[in-house]
Amino acid sequence: MATPALKITNLRKVYRRGNVAVEDLSLTVEEGDFFGFLGPNGAGKSTTIHCVTGIANPTSGTIEIFGLDAVKNYREARRLVGLCPQEFNVDPFAKPADIVSWAGGYFGMRAAERKSRVNYLMERFELTPHLKKSFRELSGGLKRRVVLARALVHDPKLIILDEPTAGVDVELRRVLWNYLTEINQDGRTILLTSHYLEEVERLCRDIAIVARGRIVREGTKDEMAGTPGSLEHAYLVATGAEPDHVAGQ
Amino acid sequence: MGVNWVGLGTIVRRDVQRMLRVPIQVFIAPWSSALLFIFVFGYVLGGTMRTIGGHKYIEFVMPGVLMMNIITAAFLQSSSAIYFSRFIRFVEEMLVAPLSYMEMVVGSLTTVVVRATVTGVGILILGLGFGATTIESWPLFIFWIVAVSVIFGLAGILIGLWSKSFEQLNMPVVFFLTPLSMLGGSFFTMKMLPDWLHWMLWANPFFYFINGIRGAMIGVDEAPQGLSIALTLLMIAALGGLVWRLFSRGYGLRE
Repeated sequence: MATPALKITNLRKVYRRGNVAVEDLSLTVEEGDFFGFLGPNGAGKSTTIHCVTGIANPTSGTIEIFGLDAVKNYREARRLVGLCPQEFNVDPFAKPADIVSWAGGYFGMRAAERKSRVNYLMERFELTPHLKKSFRELSGGLKRRVVLARALVHDPKLIILDEPTAGVDVELRRVLWNYLTEINQDGRTILLTSHYLEEVERLCRDIAIVARGRIVREGTKDEMAGTPGSLEHAYLVATGAEPDHVAGQ
Repeated sequence: MGVNWVGLGTIVRRDVQRMLRVPIQVFIAPWSSALLFIFVFGYVLGGTMRTIGGHKYIEFVMPGVLMMNIITAAFLQSSSAIYFSRFIRFVEEMLVAPLSYMEMVVGSLTTVVVRATVTGVGILILGLGFGATTIESWPLFIFWIVAVSVIFGLAGILIGLWSKSFEQLNMPVVFFLTPLSMLGGSFFTMKMLPDWLHWMLWANPFFYFINGIRGAMIGVDEAPQGLSIALTLLMIAALGGLVWRLFSRGYGLRE
């Protein structure tokens, strides 16, 4: 049996003030999957992602990335992951190519390799006309492209996208969808969180729904959403909302 | 597991690029301030001041001026770099990368030493150009610039990790760095103080830094160089240990 791209076992995360963000969460994402990780705000999605990528220290539980312990073998494990975070955690005065190039450097990419990869990503995400602008001068959509390019610079095998299309216009959303489909077909594993259920229905093959720090439902897209629009119903039921009541509002 | 040298080099390159975005604040300001000291103490007041240990007053003051600027440069470089990266959250770029805490600290301190050295050498060139200073020992001079910048780079990292607001970030400069520099013998010798106030210098760590670099520049020591060097290395070890402990707990960095 192939090693999963991501295997989380009994993850628990308690913040310093005692707030339990994730409680006994277990999850497996197979290699090559396009996996939807859904849940309401504050359900524990971002905290789980932070524990996987090293932004947060897990309180207990284990995280394996392609069989490597994300804490004990953090160097090897992190080389395999690219994170596109929900918020723009970027030096606002830096230029797009520098932001992406620095990230490549942190991942150990040498100058020549970095340069050609940065050039490719600037072209691919149509950032070339904006190379002289600082990050703060870019529009929301362009900022999102820079952050995505940064996540992809070291060509990771597992790409984690935390609400990558939030605040993005329809055109860019479609560009991103096409690109993500392309790299997934190329063999990259993608974990996507999104509040846009039509996006998840369109892109993902497997889905997990998290609420109050636990996985409350998990399965294939077809199991959860046999007919268009029924993912929303499954989501509302799994997260404890009243579908009819919500629909009537 | 080996060192991520490319990652370490990237931290330094990134911080140097950021530093060069604000050259007036980083380099021109301390050099201008040194020029003002040379003008006031060398030309305006120079003739009215007595010589100290056979040296003109400006020669006595210049090492203190240089050290004050190195201390400020080192502290501001690391404290603002850490605090700003936490505040904007781009520290997460490094946290998700295969970088060890040691590489992050060494990368940050290397930039501190670069900034402090360029600041210090600039002031030295001004001093030499205007006949306001000399160099007795290059090795000691380099030791003091590097050692003091590492101390205040480490102190800056601690404050950068601890601060939750810009006000907290600036507090150490107002309440510690400026007063302790002024009272650490930058502008006066121990003999100028009454006997009962000598403890004020012996108890002030800044006195040993200023004394050390003054020895390296004009050969005037009020405390033995060996004592100053030993205390300085002890401080580096203590602050380094504290920074290491906080980093390894993820304090102020990891949630």
